[in-house]
Amino acid sequence: MISVKKIAVQHVLLVVALIAAVALAVQEGWGAQEESPAVTTEQVDPALEEQVREIAANLRCPTCRALSVLDSPSGMAQEMRGLIRDQLLSGKTPDEVTAYFVERYGEWILLQPKAEGFNWTVWLLPVLLLAGGLVFVLMTARRWVQQGQARAAEEGQEGEI
Amino acid sequence: MTNTVGYSAIVGALVVSLVGAVIAFAAVRTGRSGLAALGRRASYVVFGLACLANLTMVYALVTHDFSVGYVAQVGSRSTPMFYTVISLWSSLDGSILFWGLIIAGYTAAVVYIHRSRYRELMPAVAGTLLVVNAFFWLLLAGPANPFTQVFPVPADGPGPNPLLQNHPFMGLHPPLLYLGYVGLAVPFAFGIAALITGKLGGDWIRAVRRWTMAPWIFLTCGIVAGAWWSYEVLGWGGYWAWDPVENASFLPWLTATAFLHSIMVQERRQTLKTWNILLVVATFLLTLFGTFLTRSGILASVHAFTEGLIGPFFLGFITFVLLASLVLLAWRTDELKSEPTLDSVASRETAFLLNNLLLVAFTFTVLLGTMYPLIAEAVRGVKVSVGAPYFNRMSVPISLALVFLAGVGPALPWRRGSPELLSRKFVWPSAVALLAGVGFWLLGARDFWTWLTLVLAVLAVGLLWGEFWRPARARMQAQGEGMGRALASLTLKNRRRYGGYVVHLGIVVMAVGIALSATYRKEREVTLAIGQSAEFAGYVVRLDSLYAGREAHRDFVEAAFGIGKGSEQLAVLTPRLNYYPMSDQPIGTPHVRTRPHEDLYLSLMAYARDGSTATVNIIVNPMVVWIWIGGGIVALGALFAISTVGTGGVTGRRPEIAVERDAQPIRAAVGGSD
Repeated sequence: MISVKKIAVQHVLLVVALIAAVALAVQEGWGAQEESPAVTTEQVDPALEEQVREIAANLRCPTCRALSVLDSPSGMAQEMRGLIRDQLLSGKTPDEVTAYFVERYGEWILLQPKAEGFNWTVWLLPVLLLAGGLVFVLMTARRWVQQGQARAAEEGQEGEI
Repeated sequence: MTNTVGYSAIVGALVVSLVGAVIAFAAVRTGRSGLAALGRRASYVVFGLACLANLTMVYALVTHDFSVGYVAQVGSRSTPMFYTVISLWSSLDGSILFWGLIIAGYTAAVVYIHRSRYRELMPAVAGTLLVVNAFFWLLLAGPANPFTQVFPVPADGPGPNPLLQNHPFMGLHPPLLYLGYVGLAVPFAFGIAALITGKLGGDWIRAVRRWTMAPWIFLTCGIVAGAWWSYEVLGWGGYWAWDPVENASFLPWLTATAFLHSIMVQERRQTLKTWNILLVVATFLLTLFGTFLTRSGILASVHAFTEGLIGPFFLGFITFVLLASLVLLAWRTDELKSEPTLDSVASRETAFLLNNLLLVAFTFTVLLGTMYPLIAEAVRGVKVSVGAPYFNRMSVPISLALVFLAGVGPALPWRRGSPELLSRKFVWPSAVALLAGVGFWLLGARDFWTWLTLVLAVLAVGLLWGEFWRPARARMQAQGEGMGRALASLTLKNRRRYGGYVVHLGIVVMAVGIALSATYRKEREVTLAIGQSAEFAGYVVRLDSLYAGREAHRDFVEAAFGIGKGSEQLAVLTPRLNYYPMSDQPIGTPHVRTRPHEDLYLSLMAYARDGSTATVNIIVNPMVVWIWIGGGIVALGALFAISTVGTGGVTGRRPEIAVERDAQPIRAAVGGSD
């Protein structure tokens, strides 16, 4: 018979190896991110690019179906990313850049509705449902436990008689 | 001629569905087995006519018969044969014709497989499914008729939508999705049959599990295949855009998943009867609603086909299904009551309730977000968008709670969780997860949600592993078996349970892939001259050549990039732009180099007309491949869970249930693995 202890050690080692593999894989990704990529064609300011990405991710590409200005490969989105970069370079704050696009295209350009007025419904209803549901589920489980106790008590009495 | 044959088959299928439905419901009322047999035969005839109608269309497509309306719309002499055949589902009318085939196929299969079982339930199941059939054949006979006569007959057609003939996966993704989507009508029919006959107990729940699992597997594969297609074809390096129609395919998946879990509670504890009916009705309504979204064009989407009379037809049918289901539910209220009992809140039952709450809240959130642009326009008169930032923010916490339950749920015993048992099961996985959490933090995982995903994934894997390991160890000690053998005999004897755990593992793997690829994706767009190279994320990307070419149905421009790391050459990637005659925008085909830890994804964006430079988007996506692998694990686990060997197939009894109940005390002794 194979020693159970030996196999227990084997499976602990297996789990550790798996975690290590994931860790190594992600570390490679993270490590590479910290290097500053040397692009031959243009010099890139990482902080500025991060701001551009943040703004672009929340703007809808007007000529696409459901993609953001950040994700879309279309020419329109490419131009808009350039516009965001130019405006940031000219000293505008990210909020001002976003406001510029909202003024130009309307609220529709924002990929998430601003949390104000009626728009609160889309943000709060799911949270309320989840919170209410949680209370309901816990109450249901407790009711079931009480029913179980009540029935056990009944059966106990019957047994005595 | 072709039109006459095809249209006659459609009208025939409509008439036989209606007559068959009437006969089947008469069989329910009178209980006469002769009528039930006649209803079954009607289902077979509808399936035969559906095959005829679809084959006629394929024949018309292959022979380029442009007198057929649908062929004139999507056919083209220059389209390759493969894409000509699959253009059956590349546009509105053809895809509904294909749906007709699938619903008729499911109907025939259900009534055939259960021909000598569930005698009271089956006529009502057949009747309900035939009504659903009748709805689709009515659509095809009226507003979605693909066999309209075209005169004068054009010499050639435009061919299918370029996006749909750009990748062979279009031959796989839609049929899988449709098989899942349409198949969810079957559990609905069982639910309605249970209400109609008043047989609300065991039978329908037992029968419905496999009939929900099968479409669920198809739908899962269809969604993952669609995500993969989007990744390989659309060129933006992502796989899920929360496009309204992607959401439409996801909504019934969520409720069907909830249903698959909650029927286990009813099976074990004879409770949640009303809830299960509501879930299965909601799932079917969401498939109809999703079709309505796709086919009516009320929401702009990459999948939207056309507008027309289809919308009102669908809305009418949705209303009918909703009202009929609610009336039946109200009628059976008294019989649906149950008095469940529980010994402790920390039990499998509570985990199932929470799972259902999360899945339903997820469904509600996605539905609300998808519909909110319409709601806001109606209420505020302002156009708004709800896109990926909203859905990601809302769905990440819910998904993580689900990942948590995917590990914790299976580790909790039914009825009660004693503190000793819980500590025995939870201490080690929790400790490993915490340790891993510290490790991930030290390695640089600073994004909170990603970090939490990894920690919960380790916890879930640890807990699930315990569920395999503990009973296997007991077997090894008791019977002297080796580890592999003990695991094999354990899982083969309890396929349902362990198949389910494998599905959970697959979901966890997918969650890790999604979290890492979303958080640590890097991209840069560069313009390179021939021979020039750029360095990005450790890769050297050099433009070697740029050339144009012509294929039968399209022209293309392709760039060859030499990929290296340091001085080492790794591969040549050739992303391209395709030009189709009917489209003024080029359709890109990115080239992806997939490795277990990351993908290198090149997408050709633009090029100089003189061929001197090319602009390429370089995307480095970590761990993306694990999303597809996780999807595969989910599908295999689910297949394992419904597989049976030597127990009589779908209609057979499942001895494992009996074993589970009888073996309760023994298993509690070997470690409470249930």
